[in-house]
Amino acid sequence: MNSIGPSAASQKKRKLSDAESSDEDSDVQLDSDLQSKLYVPRHANLDPSSLNSTHHGIGIEGQKDFVSHIFGNEDYTWLPLKSDHKSRPLWISPENGHIILEGFSPIAEQAQDFLVAISEPVSRPAHIHEYKLTPYSLYAAVSVGLETEDIIEVLNRLSKVPVPESITKFIRQCTLSYGKVKLVLKHNRYYVESAHPETLQMLLKDSVIGVGRVYRDENDQITTEQNSALTVSSKPTGKDLTIPGVQKGKDTKPDGLNEKLTAEEQKKADEKLFGAVVAIDKEDEDDDDEAEQVHAFEIQADHVESIKKRCNEIDYPMLEEYDFRNDTVNPNLEIDLKPITVIRPYQEKSLSKMFGNGRARSGIIVLPCGAGKTLVGITAACTIKKSCLVLCTSSVSVMQWKQQFLQWSNIKENQIAVFTSDQKERFSGDAGIVISTYSMVANKRKRSYDAQKMMDFLESREWGFLLLDEVHVVPANMFRTVVTTIAAHAKLGLTATLVREDEKIDDLNFLIGPKLYEANWMDLASKGHIANVQCAEVWCPMTPEFYAEYLLENTRKRTLLYVMNPRKFQATQYLIRYHEERGDKIIVFSDNVHALVEYAKKLQKPYIYGGTGQQERMRILQNFQYNPIVNTIFLSKVGDTSIDLPEATCLIQISSHYGSRRQEAQRLGRILRAKRRNDEGFNAFFYSLVSKDTQEMYYSTKRQQFLIDQGYAFKVITNLEGIDSDPTLVFKTKNEQLDLLKSVLLTNEADMKDEDLHEMDDVGRITDRKVAAKNRLPGLVRRTMTTSKSLAGGDNMAYMEYSRSSGGQFAKNPRGAPGASKEHHSLFKKHLKRK
Amino acid sequence: MVNAVTGVLIECDTTVKAIIKNLDSKHHFIVDDLDDTHVFIVSTWVERLKSELERLLDENAYTISDPKDPKN
Repeated sequence: MNSIGPSAASQKKRKLSDAESSDEDSDVQLDSDLQSKLYVPRHANLDPSSLNSTHHGIGIEGQKDFVSHIFGNEDYTWLPLKSDHKSRPLWISPENGHIILEGFSPIAEQAQDFLVAISEPVSRPAHIHEYKLTPYSLYAAVSVGLETEDIIEVLNRLSKVPVPESITKFIRQCTLSYGKVKLVLKHNRYYVESAHPETLQMLLKDSVIGVGRVYRDENDQITTEQNSALTVSSKPTGKDLTIPGVQKGKDTKPDGLNEKLTAEEQKKADEKLFGAVVAIDKEDEDDDDEAEQVHAFEIQADHVESIKKRCNEIDYPMLEEYDFRNDTVNPNLEIDLKPITVIRPYQEKSLSKMFGNGRARSGIIVLPCGAGKTLVGITAACTIKKSCLVLCTSSVSVMQWKQQFLQWSNIKENQIAVFTSDQKERFSGDAGIVISTYSMVANKRKRSYDAQKMMDFLESREWGFLLLDEVHVVPANMFRTVVTTIAAHAKLGLTATLVREDEKIDDLNFLIGPKLYEANWMDLASKGHIANVQCAEVWCPMTPEFYAEYLLENTRKRTLLYVMNPRKFQATQYLIRYHEERGDKIIVFSDNVHALVEYAKKLQKPYIYGGTGQQERMRILQNFQYNPIVNTIFLSKVGDTSIDLPEATCLIQISSHYGSRRQEAQRLGRILRAKRRNDEGFNAFFYSLVSKDTQEMYYSTKRQQFLIDQGYAFKVITNLEGIDSDPTLVFKTKNEQLDLLKSVLLTNEADMKDEDLHEMDDVGRITDRKVAAKNRLPGLVRRTMTTSKSLAGGDNMAYMEYSRSSGGQFAKNPRGAPGASKEHHSLFKKHLKRK
Repeated sequence: MVNAVTGVLIECDTTVKAIIKNLDSKHHFIVDDLDDTHVFIVSTWVERLKSELERLLDENAYTISDPKDPKN
C-alpha cells in the first residue's frame, strides 16, 4: 500500500476519474424537507489514524536494520510479536485499522467469520486477506449483537501482535454508543429498548425524547402519571423462529441456532488443537441462552421520527427491529416456501444474521450475481409473512421477481401485484406483495390518474417488509425518497457489488441498515454454487494508422477508434471461433452501439441493443438458448443486468463504460450462473479486449479492481496463438484496415449519439429528463412491457413476418412497421378479434 | 555549403513511432523518417523525448495505491 507522491500524471488521472463518475450523478432532486430527515451520526466519519497518538517514531530510531528502508513509514518492527504468534492468523495495522489475515491458517475460517462480522473485506485472494475496520462495519457488528469488549478480546486472541492501543480506542469510540438503543415495534407499539438502563435514563432526560414517552398503568391504560420505572422483559431469542427452507437434520434444535452450534462443536475440537482460539459465536449464544434482561420505554408513534432524529444527533443511532410475530395490526400473509425449495448454506447464514434474535433486522445482504439473491429475499418475505413491497431496477426484473415468487413459494397469483408504467394492479385480500421499480415509486413528476391512485395506496399503508433489489445502482437521492415515503417495518437490501463510483454507498448504511452478510466469491465458486471463471485481459496492439489518428482526435472519437481497432476485430473473431469450436455459448458485450452493430454485421452474428424491439429480442434470445447454430450474440448495455442467460459460458467484452467496477462485476455475473457449472472441470471464460497504449488500458485496470479484490486473477494475453494463420480473418490487408479507418472517421456525432441513449438503465432513463425527452423522439423504438397474451398475438394482431437476411441477422423492423397486420382493413379487426 | 546535424537513430514500436510523429508535428525534431520502426532525430532532443514519452504512456497506467484517490 505504499506509493509515491502525487505526480503530474496521477493528477491527470484524478481528472479522468472525476469525469467518469459524473454519469452516476443523474438523480432526482431532493426536497429540502426530505434532506433534513436524513442524517448521519457524527462518528460515521471517524478515522482511526486520527486517534493515533503513541508510538510514532519510536521504532524508526530504535531498530533500524538493513531492510528498514524498504518499508519507510510502514515499518512496524516495534510491534512486539506474541511468543505463539505462529498459531495466530492475523495482524492489525495500528495506523489505519487494516487487518491482514493468513488465509491458509488452520483457524482462518473461524477468523474469517468473525472478521466479516466486524470489518469490511477489502481484498480476498487465495492466501492473504485484507480487511478494514470502519465505523460502519463496527456499527454492523454491534447491531448483530457483538459487544465492544468481546470484539477487542477476540481480536486480541487472534492477533499476532497485541491489539494496538489506537485500535482499541477506535473500537471503543465507535461502539460506545452504537447499537445500544433499539427501536422496536411490537404489539403495534413503539418501544425504545436497551440492555443498559442507564442509557435509557439518559435518553429520557433529553427534552425531545422525553416528550414522546407514553406511560401506562397496571391495566395497560395510558396515564398521565409520571413514573420513571422502565419496562423489563427478557431478551428476545431466535429460538422458536424457523426460517423456511432450511433443511432439517436429525438435530431437532431450533434452526437459527443449528449452525452456531455446529460451528461451536467444531471450534471445541479446534480448541484442543490450538490452545487459544476464538469463541465468538459461543459468547454470542450464551447471551441468547440466559434470559438476559432488557429495558424499554414506550413512545408515541407520531414522535418516532423526531426521536429517531434526535438519537442520531446525540450519537445514539437507533437500530430498527421489527417484532413481526407480535404484530397483530398488520394482517398476516399466507406465504410459505414450497416444500421442495431448499436454501443453500450461505443463504441460510445470511438469513440467520437477519433473524438472529427472532425479530427482523434491517440491513443489506451482499451476494454475488447468480448466487440466489432472489431466493434470499423470498425466504425473508416468507419468514416475516406480512405485506411486502419489492422494488427493483427495471420492469424486466419486476416480471422476473414475480415469476420467482410464484416458482419458489406457494403464494397465489392474485396476491402478487405489479406496479409498472404498463400495469397497475392491486392484490386481492388485505395482505399481499407489490412489485415495482424504484423510478415508479420515486417519480415526482405528474403521474397518470391510475399511477397516482396506486401511489396513494402504497403510501397509505404500513408495509411489513420492504425488499430492495440491487441497492447499489439506485441514484442516492431517488433512494432516499423511496425509503422515506414508504412506511416499512423491516428493510432488506440485496446487492452483488457494494461499490459505487460516486462513494454514496456509505449512505446506505444509515438509510437501510448495516451490512448483515457478505459472501466470499471464491468460497462459493469452490463449493460449486457459482461457476469457476477464468478471466483474461487481451491486449490488442493498435495499428499504426489507427494510433496516429487516435493521437489527433478528441476523447469521443478516441473511444470509437480504440474500440474499432482492426486488431481487436481480429481478436474477437478468433476468440469467437475458438470458443464456438469448444461448444461454448458466447456473449459479446459492447457499450458502444455503433461498434456493436459494425462488429455484429462484419462477423455475421445477431445483436441486441436498446432499440431492438421486444419481439425480435425474444426471438434472438430464444435462438441463442435453444438453437445449436446460434452460439454467439452481441449485446449492448441492455444485457448487463436484466437478461438472464444461464446458457452462456463465455463472455467477451469489446467496449465498456469507462472505469465502472460495478459494470465489470455485473457482466461477470452473466456467466456465474452457467448451467453447466457443475460439470467436471468446467470453466467459464471472461475476456476483456483492450487496445494497447490507449486510455482503455487505464480504465480496464481500474474496472478489474473489484473482481481482483474478490480473488479473481486476470491473465494478460498479449498474443493469440495462431491468429495470423486464419485465412478468413477480417481486415487482413492494409487496404481493408484503411477503409475501416475511413469509415470510423466519417462517423459523425449523430451516429455516436446513439450511445447516450443507452448509458442509462431503466432507473436512470426515467429520472434524467434529457434522456426522457430524447425517448419521445419519433422513430425510436421504446421498450414496453405487455401481457403475454398480446405478445402472442391474442389481442388483435394476426401474425407478423420477419425476413431474415443471409447473415442470420433478423431484419430490423419491429412492431409498427409495414407488416401483415397493416394489410387488413380496419373493418376486419373486429372480425379477427371475435375469432 | 554543407549543413551538418548530429542525430540519433531511434528504434521503437509502431505506437511509439506514432507518438513521436505526433510530437514532431509541433516541435520539428525529426531529421529523417526511415521506416515503421526507425526514425532519425536531432540528438539534443533525445532526453526530452524520453521524458515526454514516459509522461504520455504513463497516462494510460492505473496505479492502485494513489494515496489521494478516494476510491481506495
